[in-house]
Formats: sequence, structure tokens, C-alpha cells
Amino acid sequence: MRSRLILWVLAIALLVALPPVMTAIGQTFYIDLVRRIMILAIAAVSLNLILGYGGLVSFGHAAYLGIGAYSVGILAFYGFTNGWLQWAVAIGASALVALAIGAVSIRTSGVYFIMITLAFTQMLYYLGISLEEFGGDDGMRLKAKSQFAGLIDLREPITFYYLALVLMLASVYLVYRIVNSRFGVVLRAAKSNEARTRAIGFPPYPYRLAAFVMAGAMCGLAGALYANHTNYIVPGLMSWQHSGDLMFMVILGGMASTAGPVLGAFAFIFTEEFLKVLLNWVAPIFGKRDWAEYWAILMGPVLVLSVIFFRRGLAGIFYKPDA
Amino acid sequence: MSWILVFEQLLNGVQLGVTLFLMAAGLTLVLGIMNLVNLAHGSLYMVGAYLTLAATQWTGNYFAGVALGLLGALVIGMLVEVITLRALYERDHLDQVLATFGLILFFNELVAILWGRASLYAQLPEWLRGHVELFAGSTYPVYRLSVIIVGLIVAVVLWYVVTRTRLGMLIRAGATNRTMVAALGVNIRLLYTVVFGFGAALAGLAGVMAGPIYSVQPGMGELILIQVFVVIVIGGIGSVRGALVGALIVGVVDTLGRAFLKPALSTMISPTAGEAAGPALASMLIYLLMAVVLALRPAGLFPARG
Amino acid sequence: MLEVRGLTKAFGALRACDGIDFEVREGETHAVIGPNGAGTTTFISQLAGNLLPDSGSVHFAGSDVTRLPAPQRARMGLARSFQITSVYPDFTALDNVALAVQARSGRTGFWKAARGDASLVEPAKQALQAVGLGERTHVFAANLSHGEQRQLEVAMALATEPRLLLLDEPMAGMGTEESQRMITLLSRLKQTKTIILVEHDMDAVFRLADRISVLVYGRVIATDTPERIRANTEVRKAYLGED
Repeated sequence: MRSRLILWVLAIALLVALPPVMTAIGQTFYIDLVRRIMILAIAAVSLNLILGYGGLVSFGHAAYLGIGAYSVGILAFYGFTNGWLQWAVAIGASALVALAIGAVSIRTSGVYFIMITLAFTQMLYYLGISLEEFGGDDGMRLKAKSQFAGLIDLREPITFYYLALVLMLASVYLVYRIVNSRFGVVLRAAKSNEARTRAIGFPPYPYRLAAFVMAGAMCGLAGALYANHTNYIVPGLMSWQHSGDLMFMVILGGMASTAGPVLGAFAFIFTEEFLKVLLNWVAPIFGKRDWAEYWAILMGPVLVLSVIFFRRGLAGIFYKPDA
Repeated sequence: MSWILVFEQLLNGVQLGVTLFLMAAGLTLVLGIMNLVNLAHGSLYMVGAYLTLAATQWTGNYFAGVALGLLGALVIGMLVEVITLRALYERDHLDQVLATFGLILFFNELVAILWGRASLYAQLPEWLRGHVELFAGSTYPVYRLSVIIVGLIVAVVLWYVVTRTRLGMLIRAGATNRTMVAALGVNIRLLYTVVFGFGAALAGLAGVMAGPIYSVQPGMGELILIQVFVVIVIGGIGSVRGALVGALIVGVVDTLGRAFLKPALSTMISPTAGEAAGPALASMLIYLLMAVVLALRPAGLFPARG
Repeated sequence: MLEVRGLTKAFGALRACDGIDFEVREGETHAVIGPNGAGTTTFISQLAGNLLPDSGSVHFAGSDVTRLPAPQRARMGLARSFQITSVYPDFTALDNVALAVQARSGRTGFWKAARGDASLVEPAKQALQAVGLGERTHVFAANLSHGEQRQLEVAMALATEPRLLLLDEPMAGMGTEESQRMITLLSRLKQTKTIILVEHDMDAVFRLADRISVLVYGRVIATDTPERIRANTEVRKAYLGED
């Protein structure tokens, strides 16, 4: 318990210290990179609520990232730049879509659930492509970043960085509270032994659906942040690859652990960046200049191997399971 | 709107349907029998398309190209089974999904490195390029007609194998009760490899045939794979009959939706409504259909069990 | 307390339950016995709500529960234990029982930690004490012995403060010593609880039951006190094959 607290404090101190240090040595690229990772970590944390604690293998979580981002983008397109409004809509719209998708798919289980969540997300992806008004396949530029009148200026990269950090920590704490609450205990129990849970008197469906909606809403917030981060919103945000990436972040970090998804998000994106650097470094040996775009050829096997041999994730290295 | 046009689009729908069926049949059997979720099934489809294209160019002979394409999909499918999937049979679905997701990244990138990221279009031999007259005033491409015929022949052969042979009996038994088949002393591992190879070859065949119709590009496998998931959810896991019916429904609904939803909405409601909602609705149609089927029949139209 | 009329359930041609009439009185321990394949499992599943009957009715505490799903019956006070041990292996013994307490309380919450909630933890500790697991509260259920897991199941059933305890083969798979401990535990419980006991261990059945119903081929062939059941010729025929 104590060592865990020390790790948390160290990690947070590191993240707080990063912007001034990187600015000082002129590596602002890393501020941008870590900000993106922290935003994706919020999405991964939300997925962990249903995947890790709820046992719901949702292969469509990127949908809410997209809905959150499009909510911000579309409102900005029509001139509504108030951040409170935009983010509330992003969260609300994601929750509603999660309610609709969850209501249908949670009635099923196993492979069906995986295929259905994937299919519905693909549907939203195609919907994004067919929205010609909002750029269709090419996506849309965010007209202006979300405005929080005088309170926070997202155009300041470092302010935005700290906001992302605070929101990431808040989401970790929120999920921590939820899974240890009365509600969360039932959610975990339904994953552990469904028949038992029914026999005690808890029907799993409403608990799972509620968790699904909460996770969707939280991921919608991540989407709103992501739109502000990239300034560009594309249907590709909702693609099946993105959903797969989020799942990997949860698994690499360690399922059903508090810090796991955050560790996983860092590990996943760092691996990606590392492979790009590696390929660029190797390329000149073969007389080529730029191989970074082919990083997936290495990432694929790395992921396959991590599934086969590295089952417990990063959190398993740092601490033992909860006692 | 002429009936000839509707008829042609209906045939196009059937043609998409048989392509989906070839994919769905293998996938649903692998799922039903081995309880394995193989996302890389779409990669085999892609491999079939690319290898046929490359081998046809290389040998200058269409049949040699098709043969090499099929063989390539089969061999690569078997290799994938032996090298990675075997380690995953005992794992849960989550692990299978993640590992085969990694395989997809690998295959898509490999294809992009070898042939580039741009779309390619497969060339057909002269005799497959023409049109036939089905009845007065209606012509239809020879190639698409051939795809339908080949697909239906495969469906019949598959039906025969599954319902009339010993292998088929084992496959059906395996889809309903795995432990029982093992208890009968059947070599499960061999059965798995055979079924998997079967599925890989069918996926390859679908890719071979799809090449000249759709664009050949990295990632083409996943676009069809997700439609195949819809087919399987509608048809029911482990059921070849369900796969056929589901595939034809999805193929026809999708094709007709794309062809006629926009004009239909334009005439019925307003041109602007058709313009705005038509394409969006058409692309969502099969997923909405899936939702409806799920609401009414959660186990699909033809559940293999019971 | 519980009244079953004409309960019938068929699987294809097999009539697993064939017009069962059955009654449990307030405060009694009513055992259900039967040779293998007599339909006890099917019967119990219909009482608990895991299986719906083809025809017939189940009344519990005065209301018709025939079509009610399992979780709702549990909320009305019908608690069951499972034939095959069914606990939460990744929860501690205390958390297993605390969850059952929570089910009774009917309240939920999204913020306050359940583990620190005295209104859940204290009754859970008491239930663990009652079944003799007071020293094992913080052990993961997976690390408990088989006998202890069965005790834990009883504790969970108790913690819901049920009006009727449905115990499906609580002695299954136990050694002699463990069985004796379970019998002692149940004979203490039966002082205050109404119990349906499905069990193959005849020693336990005859020591614990106030009345016994004998199920053969989906029918109740006799319901009576243990002494009379012991003397019943039809029962002897069914059990010992004395044709």
C-alpha cells in the first residue's frame, strides 16, 4: 500500500515536471506526445471499467472517442464554441449512443458481444464518412478550440497539458471509486460468477448497462479533448483499429487494475514511437531514407507475442493483485 | 425506375452475398467448432486477392494466377494456424481477438510494403470481360455471373460435405458438442487443422473472385470481415445454412439500399432529404438490420445448438 | 411457506418433472431425496427460478412466483446454495458474504467504498462466525478448502436473511470429517430457519429432516416423517430395487 502510494507520487511528479524540463531542452514534441497519451489514457481507463472490471469485451470503444470529437467539431462548425456546452454535449451524446448500443448488445454474450460492438462502431464509422457536410472521409478541421471564458486557454499547449493531466487523474480516481462502491462490487461479481450473482438477487443486465453508459460518457470526454488536441476530426477515429488500440492499452497495462490502463497507454504509444525511430535508424543500412511509416510490420508481431507471453500486463510487474 | 435495373441490382446483391458466404462459412465453422475468434480471416481474403493479381501478372495466365492465389491463401492460413493460433485455442476470446488483431496489422503492412498502399485493379482475361444477355434488353457482366455460379456451386458442395459425409458429421457434432467428439476418439487437432485450412481456402477464393470487382488494397480484408460478422450474427454461429441465408440477406439489402434508398427517399419525401440521409442510411442499413434480428432472435436465425 | 402444484417439465420425450405436488411448512426442514436421474436438479432449478416449468405453479410466501426470474425470487427471501461450489474465487470470504448482505439491503451506490461500510461488513462477519469461518475472513475464496467453500456458500445464503433456504447437496464431495461439521452447522441452523435440503447423504438427511419427500422418475412417491419413509415399501423398492 505504501509503496504503491510512493509510485503514484513519483509518477505524478514526473508528469508535472515534464513540460518545464522539455521546454528548457527544446523538446516540446514530447509535451505534445504525452498530452496525446494522457487523453488516450482517459479512454483506456473508461474501457477498463467495462472490460477489466465488468468482463464486457467491447470491440467498439473508439466509437465514443469519435462521438465526443464530432460533438465538439460540429458545435464549433455552427459557431457554438462554449467549452462547457461542447463538452457536456460530447459526454451526453456518447452516453446516449452507449445506452442504445449497450441495450442491444449486453443481452448477448461471448463472441456475439464482440462482433456486435465491433459492427455497431463500424456503422458509426460509415456514418461519419457519409456526412459530406462535415468533410466525409477527409474529416473536418476544428474551427476554434473549446472556449472556457478566461478560465482555461486551450491554445496554450502547456495549460492544455496540465488540464489533460488533471482530467486523467480524475478519471482514474472516479473509476477507482466506482469499482469499489456497492455498484462496482456487483459489476465485478457478475464477471466473476454470473449464476451466483443472480442467485443472490442481482440481475447483471442493469449493472452492466449502467457501467457501459458510464464508460461511454467518460470516453466521450476523451474524444472532446482529442478534437482539441489534433484540431482535426476524422471518421478514422472510430475505426476498428482504434478500438483495438484501446483494448491493447488496457491489456498491456493489466486488466482490472487502477493504474493499468494509464501504464498501458504509455507503453503502447511509446512502443509505437520507438518502432518508428528504430526503423528510421535501420533504414540507411539498406540505403533507404524513411521507413517509419512501416512501423506496423513490427508492431503486429510485438502485440501477438505480448498476448501469448505477457498475460498479466505491466501492472502485474509493479504490484501484486489486491489483497 | 425500370424493373431491369432492379433485377440487375438484385443479381449484384446475390453476387455480394455469395462472396460474403464464402467468408462466413469458414469463419462460422472455425467459431462453432474451435471456439476461436479469428480476425485474421479477412487477411486471408486479402492475401488471396493480392497473390492472384501478382501471379496472373507474373505467369501471364489467369488460371495459373487463380490456382497460385488459392494455394497461397491455403498455405498461409495453415502457417498462421500452426505458428500462432494453436497457442490460443485454450485462451479466452479476448486473447484471441487481440492476437489476431496483431496479425492483421502485420499482414496489412506486409502487403503495403510489397505492393504499395494504393488500390490495384485486377485484369480479367478477354473471355470474362464481356456481357451476356439474360433476356431481351438486359445484359449482365459475364464475370459477376460467374462469381454467382461458382459461389452457388461451392455452397452446394459445402452442403453436401457437411450433411452427407463423415467429415461433415464430425464438423456438425463438433459445433454442438466438442467434448463428445473428443470422447469419440477423433483426432481433434487434425480436425481443427482441416477445418481451418478449409476456411482459409474459402476466404482465399472469396478474395480471388472479389479482386476484379472491388479495389485490391491493404485493409480490404477488414472491411468485408465486419460485414461477415453481421452475416454470422444474423445467421447464427456455427451454422452453414445460417451463413448462406444471412449472407444473401446482407448482400441483397446492402446492394439494394445503396442503389435505391437515395432515389426512393428523394421521390417519397424530398430531394434534399434523399440527398442528405440516403447515403448515410444506406451505409447503416445492414447494421440496423442486425440490431432488429438481435432484438427478435438473439441467437440468430439458424442457431446451431438445439 | 412454499407450495408447488402440478409442476411439469419435459425435455423432449423425457418428463423430468411429472406433475409434482410439494409443500414446505414454516420452520420445518424438508429434505428432497431421489435416486440419480430422479429429476431433483430440474425440480430445484424450477423452485429457484433458473428454469421455467411447462405447467403447474409455484407459490412462495403467499404469492405466485411461477414465472418470476431467479434474482427476484432471491429478493423475496428464497436463498439457494449450489450443488457445484459456486462462490467468487477472486473475492475474499468477507467480500463474498458482504455482497450477499448488500443484496438484502437493496441499496446501491456509486461512490462510497463497499468494503468500509459497517452496515455490510458487520453482518457479513457475523454470518462467517455462524458457519465457523470467523478466522478466515480475509482469505480469497479460491484459497479456501472445499469444505470451507461449502460453508462459505451457506454463510452467503444466510446473509441474505432468507425466509427459505434451498440447499442443493451441501455435502457433495466432502470427506467424513467435513460432512460431520456441516451436519452440526445445519442442525444448528434448522432451529431458526425453514430449509429445503436436497442431499444424497442419507445419514445427513435422516438426522436433519423433519419431513422427507421422495422423488422418483419426476414424481413424488411419498412425503412423510423420516421414520415412516424408512418403513415405506414403495420407497424401499425404488431405492433398493426390491421388485
